[in-house]
Amino acid sequence: METKVNNMQLDTRIAGEDAIKIAARNVQVYYGDTHAIKDVNVDILDKTVTAFIGPSGCGKSTFLRCLNRMNDTISIARIEGDIRIDGEDIYDRRVDPVQLRAKVGMVFQKPNPFPKSIYENVAYGPRIHGLARSKADLDEIVEKSLRRAALWDEVKDRLDDPGTGLSGGQQQRLCIGRAVATNPEILLMDEPCSALDPIATAQVEELIDELRSNYSVVIVTHSMQQAARISQKTAFFHLGNLVEFDYTSKIFTNPEDSRTESYITGRIG
Amino acid sequence: MNTNEHIVSSFDRDLESIQAGIMKMGGLVEDSIHKSVLALDTRDLELADLVRAGDAAIDALETQVNEEAARILALRSPTASDLRTVLSVFRVSTNLERIGDYSKNIAKRSHAVMAQPPIEDATASLRRMAREVELMLKDVLDAYIQRDLGLAEDVRERDIEIDQIYSALFREYLTFMMEDPRSITACMHLHFMAKNIERMGDHVTSIAEQVVYLVTGALPEDIRPKQDLISEASNKS
Repeated sequence: METKVNNMQLDTRIAGEDAIKIAARNVQVYYGDTHAIKDVNVDILDKTVTAFIGPSGCGKSTFLRCLNRMNDTISIARIEGDIRIDGEDIYDRRVDPVQLRAKVGMVFQKPNPFPKSIYENVAYGPRIHGLARSKADLDEIVEKSLRRAALWDEVKDRLDDPGTGLSGGQQQRLCIGRAVATNPEILLMDEPCSALDPIATAQVEELIDELRSNYSVVIVTHSMQQAARISQKTAFFHLGNLVEFDYTSKIFTNPEDSRTESYITGRIG
Repeated sequence: MNTNEHIVSSFDRDLESIQAGIMKMGGLVEDSIHKSVLALDTRDLELADLVRAGDAAIDALETQVNEEAARILALRSPTASDLRTVLSVFRVSTNLERIGDYSKNIAKRSHAVMAQPPIEDATASLRRMAREVELMLKDVLDAYIQRDLGLAEDVRERDIEIDQIYSALFREYLTFMMEDPRSITACMHLHFMAKNIERMGDHVTSIAEQVVYLVTGALPEDIRPKQDLISEASNKS
């Protein structure tokens, strides 16, 4: 009875619960002969943080990279099944992966700012996608994006300094600012805090929670505590299978599958 | 319940240690129930004083177990069944500590009762009632350590019997008091003792509910039938 009440309280934090942003059906991924993702079905909600957890090599990053066709860049990768964003098949021939990646932004494990100024790091995407008609437009996008990334106040007086000169945590927030500059609808994050110290991690986590009001955020993390802190829904991957997908509060207090339980409690599964 | 061992074996040792603390507390509490009513029934003041003095050990164990559990929460961030194990330790230790207090209370009151002339087999009935609670406690501790859902449910069911014995005793004491007003002092004390034992039963039931939570992740949803036996008894007399 208690857990039900608890679930209800936590679950109301998810706005627009029934709005499915990404629907994946029977997704298979092969790297050559290796079957890396085995028949994954999942509905990812809009305006929600979804965490992918699982041991190394379980396929969580591979699956994340399917969502913006990053696996296209790996020649031996082969993908089957159906992934739809807002009902549109992203593997359709007519879909331009570059346009798709503007809509589905990505932040990586290690902060990787371009070797350019802070301003240029953020302005690059909107410029190549033709999102700004004038310099004033672009200035506005840069400021807005850096504000969203909770970095503006720290860098507004040195926008021409190189992005690589920032601290690790600032660089990662710069990458998040760069990702949101193209007005994406979905943000994919592949272990965005694993190279950051606890303070910078907390800042990025706070930022992710804020971003949730505008985006559907999918985050791969090795830190189960991080998944528990910031996500509303959690998917547990194991050996290429999606073992369990449920509310984060449920996964961390009373998971259904014994493999999930073994993993999150730190047992040999 | 996950029977696999943790990758970090010291985590297993920590969890075992707090549960061992609960079992140790449980043993002391069982003993204190047994001795408190034995002292009363055999009019053994020395034994009653031993029970009173022994409560400090139970309280100390509760503090120790709770501190250890808090440390596990802080240092190991337990999840799922591990989290439920730690949470259950907090709750069960509180229940056990309360039961220990009731034993102490009975031991304290037995001084007043022993100052009065004995009343038929009134103390023997209390001893039988306490024996039932003692057995329930023993079973619920077994259910706890073995994660035995069936046994926990069985203990929950048995609390109704304790309630029935209590209301029977209540009627008996009313009769004694009406027949002989000189027995009022003793009977009032005996009644409080019966009430103490009835409350012990409630705490044992609460532990049984914790076992259900521990195993299933949810507290039992059905509300146990609770008759209002006292008002029925009062109306009849």
